[in-house]
Amino acid sequence: MGKSVFFTENGLKKRAVSIVAAALLGAACMAGTAEAAEKVHLDFWYSLRGKNGEFIAELTDKFNKSQSTIEVKAISQGDYYQNAAKLQSSIVSKTQPDVTLLEVAQVGQFGYSGALADLGPWFSEKEQANFLEGLMKNSYIDGKFVAVPFCRSTPILYVNKSMLKAAGLDEKGPRTWDELVEFSRKLTNAEKGIFGFSTPIDIWFYEAGVFQQGGSIFSSDEKKTAFDSPEGTAIVKLWQDMVREGIMKAPVGQDYNAWDVVRNDFATGKTAMVQLSTASLGGLIEVSEGVFELGTAFLPAGKQRGVPTGGACLVVLEKSPKEKRAAAAEFFKFMTNEENAALFSEVTGYMPVTHEAAASERIRALHAKYPQYRVALEQLEHAKTRPMIKGYREMSVLMQEEFKKPMRDLSIAPETSVKSAAVQVQELLDRED
Amino acid sequence: MSRRRFNSAYLLTLPALAGSALFMIYPILFAVWLSFHRWDMLSDTRRFVGAANYVRVFSNASFLQVLSNSCVYMALMTTLSVALALLLALWLNENSIVKNLAQSAVFTPHIVSMVSVGILWMWIMEPDIGLLNYILDLSGVQALLARFGQEKIMWLESEKSALFSLVFIGIWKSLGYNALILIAGLQSLPKEIYESARLDRAGRLRTLFRITIPLLSPSLFFLLIVNVTASFQVFDSVHVLTRGGPLNSSNMLVHWIYQTGFEFYRIGEASVGAVVLMLIAGGVTYANFKLLSRRVHYR
Amino acid sequence: MPTSNSFHDGFTIDSAAPRASSRSDADALRASVARGCFKLLEALALLALGAFFLFPFFWMFGTSLKTLAETLQFPPTLLPKVFMWENFPAVWNSSNFPAAALNSVAVAIGIILIQLAVILPASYAFAFKRFRFSKPLFTLVIAGLMIPPQVTFLPLYLFFSRLGMINTYVPLILPFASSAFGIFLLTQSFRQIPAEIVESARLDGASEFVIVRRVLLPSVIPTLMTFVLFSFISHWNDYFWVLSMTNDESVRTLSLAVVRLIDADGGVKHWHTTMAANMILVAPVLLAYVSANRWIKRAFAYNGIK
Repeated sequence: MGKSVFFTENGLKKRAVSIVAAALLGAACMAGTAEAAEKVHLDFWYSLRGKNGEFIAELTDKFNKSQSTIEVKAISQGDYYQNAAKLQSSIVSKTQPDVTLLEVAQVGQFGYSGALADLGPWFSEKEQANFLEGLMKNSYIDGKFVAVPFCRSTPILYVNKSMLKAAGLDEKGPRTWDELVEFSRKLTNAEKGIFGFSTPIDIWFYEAGVFQQGGSIFSSDEKKTAFDSPEGTAIVKLWQDMVREGIMKAPVGQDYNAWDVVRNDFATGKTAMVQLSTASLGGLIEVSEGVFELGTAFLPAGKQRGVPTGGACLVVLEKSPKEKRAAAAEFFKFMTNEENAALFSEVTGYMPVTHEAAASERIRALHAKYPQYRVALEQLEHAKTRPMIKGYREMSVLMQEEFKKPMRDLSIAPETSVKSAAVQVQELLDRED
Repeated sequence: MSRRRFNSAYLLTLPALAGSALFMIYPILFAVWLSFHRWDMLSDTRRFVGAANYVRVFSNASFLQVLSNSCVYMALMTTLSVALALLLALWLNENSIVKNLAQSAVFTPHIVSMVSVGILWMWIMEPDIGLLNYILDLSGVQALLARFGQEKIMWLESEKSALFSLVFIGIWKSLGYNALILIAGLQSLPKEIYESARLDRAGRLRTLFRITIPLLSPSLFFLLIVNVTASFQVFDSVHVLTRGGPLNSSNMLVHWIYQTGFEFYRIGEASVGAVVLMLIAGGVTYANFKLLSRRVHYR
Repeated sequence: MPTSNSFHDGFTIDSAAPRASSRSDADALRASVARGCFKLLEALALLALGAFFLFPFFWMFGTSLKTLAETLQFPPTLLPKVFMWENFPAVWNSSNFPAAALNSVAVAIGIILIQLAVILPASYAFAFKRFRFSKPLFTLVIAGLMIPPQVTFLPLYLFFSRLGMINTYVPLILPFASSAFGIFLLTQSFRQIPAEIVESARLDGASEFVIVRRVLLPSVIPTLMTFVLFSFISHWNDYFWVLSMTNDESVRTLSLAVVRLIDADGGVKHWHTTMAANMILVAPVLLAYVSANRWIKRAFAYNGIK
């Protein structure tokens, strides 16, 4: 009786279906448990937008597909400051991500609050040495390695070679402050509204100016300001003198709005030389193609050369479970391995962060095709550490506002505004929290 | 009988009150509580400091400037926007196609968010090649101003004009909304009153002040409340256009609160700002209600 | 019913007075020329007015059709040389636009529905019922108008995350349920319904429920529609709250997807794609406005006895 049912068409079909269903169910269960048991899940909050942000998401995808033990979920959280705000609220509510991208200047704030995990155990000396030294200056808190360089940049000088050549100037650009003034004079054309030089009056470029005079922003114990000095005033004086002479345009706008003005002016040929981030290189190459010859150069030297670095680093949050640290480290190593670091650099314009990547085929080819990219890397040997103290963001905003005053009102002496800034910053430093 | 009526009223308002309690009162209390603490949210060290935050905030000159900026902005925005809206409403109050189109055109700024059009306004207000100064120059207004010693207006770029530039943009955004509401009010005013006013040979101005405005008072009151509260909450235009600069001249309370708490990591002091905001806004709204609601005519 | 009763109409044309036959034709001509000039000036003024308010839209629309290089031009040009219509599908297919759009719709509808459910009974109670504490409670609710999201988001974020509700629709919808604006608007509107109407309905023996349904609700439909429009506009465009209350893309709305396109700090900003995205963002709101337009005027009109 059973036999006939078993072998009828219908019976077979039913049997087949139930076997397959059982098999699938079993497999699903096993896969489920296997997944749950084996895969480590990481939440990654990144703070780049537009094309660069999308590329980070793509790289993360690539990582997930390249192995089966770690799954990283990459989520965009606005820009650096919106991300920081979200990080604060999420840390308090314990819904923080495991891994995030912190702007270099934020590393100090987060690090000294104990919010960042020590990555030393997972990055050997050799591996740490693989990163370009110039980019590692802001990665250590109290000697502990906490921030992996990822999308790093330095300020560089962009020059409109076509305009320089037309003015009979060395197309390699000015090498010193004096040459900068000289070049700007020849390149400025008041009737056409063309300026020789422009730079955002931003803390980043101020730091560069101070480093170029051999000065520093804070004392070595970071308890006192050190920029109220000839070294800290020289750059403000230079800028004011150039503005007064009409050969430099102090851009209007706050924060990144000013950078946009500078960038657009350069892209449309209204300014011959500008200071901007190396991260703008990709975009500027695109828009200058066929319009003018784009050149890049070191920032002009004062008494010496000096540049801060910028961009962001990958960090692990301290509150993330310790079991995930190894996975996070592996993710970081993937994102900064030779192939990906080079790829990321090529696509976004940020610098390749490791020696390997910098020497890779891809980057070599990139440098051969666009030698402008080389400048940022070569300039790294003059990189200095940016201040890492807590509260630096607030101090930077104060300082920037003070330094803009002599540009607007030429009767204000640079020394006055620098002193005023130093007083206010010292107040913030002294304040016990 | 009356007891049942009482109960149903409480029941009817319960969801709204519950919502207010949870989503408004609780955050206010939280802000008040937080204002007495110093808290580094990154390291979870929170300690009670009494009134120390208040002392610090109120002895900070830039906060006092922010307070003054907010009050100036509120006063200018509200009076100008509502007054201009009234004039606009009187002008556009017709059922012709053209004027209806104009009414819609005037309302459209309300539809877009500041984040979207912020950049455009920055370009329009660019001192050298922006549209606004171009028009002023072309129309001869710039030359006229020069006679009074007023140089080219720097709009968002100068600490002397940044706040007023924000007021200007705020008016652009809110004018249509206000005007539309006033037009609606105007259109339903009874014609008979105007007839009798005309027969009494009342002048236009007198008619405006003695008849139209009182009859419009519910709408005007509504607009006053809405505009005042909205002007204290302004954040987007500050954040997108000026970040409070130049030199703190256009910084306003909500932006200061956000910046102090989340960019400068000093949430305790930011909460002081929040408490101050609520006291001021509450005071102004209360004053409005107390002083003016008596003069509002409902029919 | 809105009439074409313009404010100054009743004063300029004395239609009641008989035409004086002694008036010379020259005078009449002069008068009509003056009127014509006035009309012309008015037309010009209206044009200027329209330009002042609509200019940003034309610019947004023009920019959305440009190429990247064109957007860098300063002073900015109004219209592109070539209309890059492909910017639109490109933007729609990038990131997670469709999903974000769906979220925007879901959140907006959710907010409006729950707001209507909350403000209707509350406003009814405030307008018609006498009960203890009604005045202070009303003031309390209205006070909600004053609290900006930058102040409330931290405690509410902590609250919702303790309940595990971050990344759900709940924190995006619930906090707006008790709309101070809605209660303010609706209560005023209810209060303007002439008492006689309610009285006569009550005298006719109608129960409370029937009065509400047959008399009160129809009178405030314009107000409700207006409120729905205003609420829709403000929440559709909301960026700050959604960013603060969500940690991943699952429930994020269109306004965030648009801002994400702005390539900030570093690269050149991509205004053409951002503006294309903005056009997509603005379209539903424009649609909503066009459909709800007539309700706005009726809402703020003073209802006579119908």
